[in-house]
Amino acid sequence: MPETITTTDGARAIPEVAMSTTSTLVTRTGSWKYTRPAYHDRVAPCNAGCPVGIDIEGYLNLLREGRVDEARDLLLAENPLPAVTGRVCHHPCENTCNRRTFDGAVAIHAVERAMGDLARQRPAPVLKGKRRTERVAVVGSGPAGLACAYHLARFGYGVTIYESAQEAGGMLRLGIPEYRLPREALDGDIARVVAHGVEIKCGVRIGEHVTWKELTELFSAVCIATGAHTSRALGVPGEQLPGVQPGLVFLRDVNSGKRPDLGRHVVVVGGGNTAMDCARSAMRLGAKVTVAYRRTREQMPAIKEEVDDAMREGAEFVFLANPVEFQEANGRVCALVAERMALGEPDASGRRRPVPTGEHFTIEADTVLTAIGESSALEGFFGDVEGSDSGLQVDALGGTNRDMLYAGGDVTDLARTVADALGAGKRAAIGIDRHLRRHHGDTAELNALRFADGNLSAVRWMGRDPIRRVNPVNAVVGVDDLNFAQYQRVPRHADPHLDSDRARGGFDEVNAGLSTAEAMDEAKRCLNCGVCTQCDVCLIFCPDAAITRAADGSYTIALDYCKGCGLCAAECPRGAITMTQDRP
Amino acid sequence: MKKVMVGNHAVAWGVRLARVEVISAYPITPQTQVVEKLSEMCADGTLAARFIKVESEHSAMAAVIGASATGVRAFTASSSHGLLYMHEMLHWAGGGRLPIVMADINRAVGPGWNIWTDQNDSLSQRDTGWVQLYCETNQEVVDTTIMAFKLAEQLNVPVMLMLDGFYLSHTAEPVDVPDQELVDRFLPRRVAPYKLDVDSPHAFGALVRPDAYMEMRFLQQDALNKVPQALEVIEKDWLRMFGRSYGAVESYRAEDAELLLVTSGTVTSTARAVVDARRGAGEAVGLLKMKMFRPFPTALLRDALRGVPRVAVLDRNVSPGHGGIFAEELRSALYDLPDAERPELFGFVLGLGGRDITPAVIDEVIEKARTGTVPGREDLWVGVNP
Repeated sequence: MPETITTTDGARAIPEVAMSTTSTLVTRTGSWKYTRPAYHDRVAPCNAGCPVGIDIEGYLNLLREGRVDEARDLLLAENPLPAVTGRVCHHPCENTCNRRTFDGAVAIHAVERAMGDLARQRPAPVLKGKRRTERVAVVGSGPAGLACAYHLARFGYGVTIYESAQEAGGMLRLGIPEYRLPREALDGDIARVVAHGVEIKCGVRIGEHVTWKELTELFSAVCIATGAHTSRALGVPGEQLPGVQPGLVFLRDVNSGKRPDLGRHVVVVGGGNTAMDCARSAMRLGAKVTVAYRRTREQMPAIKEEVDDAMREGAEFVFLANPVEFQEANGRVCALVAERMALGEPDASGRRRPVPTGEHFTIEADTVLTAIGESSALEGFFGDVEGSDSGLQVDALGGTNRDMLYAGGDVTDLARTVADALGAGKRAAIGIDRHLRRHHGDTAELNALRFADGNLSAVRWMGRDPIRRVNPVNAVVGVDDLNFAQYQRVPRHADPHLDSDRARGGFDEVNAGLSTAEAMDEAKRCLNCGVCTQCDVCLIFCPDAAITRAADGSYTIALDYCKGCGLCAAECPRGAITMTQDRP
Repeated sequence: MKKVMVGNHAVAWGVRLARVEVISAYPITPQTQVVEKLSEMCADGTLAARFIKVESEHSAMAAVIGASATGVRAFTASSSHGLLYMHEMLHWAGGGRLPIVMADINRAVGPGWNIWTDQNDSLSQRDTGWVQLYCETNQEVVDTTIMAFKLAEQLNVPVMLMLDGFYLSHTAEPVDVPDQELVDRFLPRRVAPYKLDVDSPHAFGALVRPDAYMEMRFLQQDALNKVPQALEVIEKDWLRMFGRSYGAVESYRAEDAELLLVTSGTVTSTARAVVDARRGAGEAVGLLKMKMFRPFPTALLRDALRGVPRVAVLDRNVSPGHGGIFAEELRSALYDLPDAERPELFGFVLGLGGRDITPAVIDEVIEKARTGTVPGREDLWVGVNP
């Protein structure tokens, strides 16, 4: 021992290291902090990016927990047609998926498809709100009309859909070929809408069998969802020649079971989904197909997978080709004369504008199918409803400028996709319900129904959101908010495809989809961006052991002990913890 | 088994033979080979240790502190700026009474940026509660690494051993590698009196108020004071089992010396040759090697230097604004000797930033100390061309 001069009791019997002999709870280290963590569930980018307004993260999370029926019900609460969208949606959710740059976006479309097919075998219970006395008419049974009717039925209304064709489905049935959307999938989804009490009257054309005026007098509200069925004209010489045909007419024929003779060589003009459907259907009828598009592959508006499939099945693509004339032989088209284009400055759509080069060339054609866009036919309609060539103008809830007249889908001037139509139908349903119940909430109330700046949620509108959200903040979680150190790389499940030779031989579904088990595995790849899944990472990393887990799995932070170090927020895999400063 | 190896690999062999369980280290010149060799040993399974990769020396020391607190044997190594970056954690290891062993490959501190040897990096950590041992040969490095764990774990104090950068770290020498079975008998598994234990939870390193802090420091001081005697016992065991010993201080041909050189590190070997030459010429010049700097072996030094007329201290370091650090501390240690027995002490600063200390330089030191009349408060800088 060194020598000591004792001034007090001397060295007491204490350990030679600084070791606690009592509980450390006496030291309230929370007084040190100037920032504090809080659990705030935020919005996954897929939810915000879904035009339908599906709680994608929510149902994937339920699947992860094995709660399959609840997942199905949450999906169906927002989307009546998952077997359809799982197959034909352009899935912008996957483009925003935060997993995209890590190891590939979650294959949400494949999971949705499996859920849609599962729901056909194991239907969800029909859920409806308090019965309303008012009845609503919906004109058109495409995705917008079906969605509007479905949600209105769930809100408690009696709904009648008028459909001019002999079968319901609109463009889903008449426009989309069976190899992409088998009819039993479509029929199953439509049956769900009917099961909710929606009456569908086929073969009735409004303006012909019933006038628009009569309709508005018979029903408390009307939603127009008649779609856009007119192919835009190219406006070049020879367009009237036999053998030059709008792609939509061709598709309608094929999808109705006809098998027209197209000759040996078919040229499809256009780069959208209709063009791809035409090209692939024509190949199935035995034709050699050339797609002529005036820009390049990068600018094609068609879903990327559709272009891939068309190429895989043997379609030839001629890019930077702008039709200028159709040539005739023996009273029928024999060739397309095109001008070679070059890419110039970006146009209003942000895509580089094709500019002429003066160089011309010829492509032989026995048939030409034009697919450069569609417009709505609005003849015989109210003259005073605002709109343009691009479609009717509607407000945020699908309302036109005419009282109790709503619209959604391709008939409006909004984006023309199946998902956008489903979302628009839902918005119109909420708009109609709001109006009929004289419920005039403010913008903030509406925004609370949205996933960030995405579409409205029907379950939120009905006050039936089954997902318990922790102090929600309605903002999207970005890739930088996540902690990828907590995740393993797991490759995305690829869609199995029919062999191309077999695919070309008929109208069998090309994309075979994932098995239920594979889809459940794929669902587990979801990062649950912004949503606490009670994974315990915060609890494990808290150096003060200030986080505890309650019996229901939720966390409590003992702020008397939290030093505000921020480790929990930094380590949280999914950005569900936010640090705030105590004082500015 | 004899092997030819560089000093850095001698460190790694010592660590391997000591069966260290956790290693965390960040590479820095000239220490990098230590980390490389150890990671190879961990990878090929010849050393069953967990190697924790970190982003900095501060974290490396924090990691071995955490490991050591659980009761396992832990090791790290660094140099110069890396060691300085560990500074806060060195106090945690010292005050936490954790028997960590580390190797510091002595390297000068920048700026000017310099990767060559001097002792300023380790000496600037002298008050962190670590034992400091300066090695002369690669054999001594292997042996000291193993003995360091025994010493550290006996008294619960961390031990730092030093190698001169390049002069020892990168110089190959034959080394008699101790037999593993014998080392296992010499150094059994660590038994920790206090440790993180889920079955008996305690917080370590928490707040200690004024009514107990001083007692904690008193006990730390007491433990460090016991180091020289403990090392002596350990070295006796080592000598018995392996036939070698070094001592906290070592006198070399010091009998009846008129002048005694005091050295540490590799310069000792050069000085031995100079002393041999001088003795051969009939001159009464001897040598005292200081291996231990912390705790300062005051009693041993007083005994070794009592009555020697003149002492020349060779410092490969400097405390800016004061002098060579060994010389200054030695001067204090000798102050209480009676006037008649107190040597005249000359302090020389030399060899900074890797400048070579050749026999000619030591001859110059000897001449200056022999002919000098006023043992300086001022230090004598050797070989400086201002």
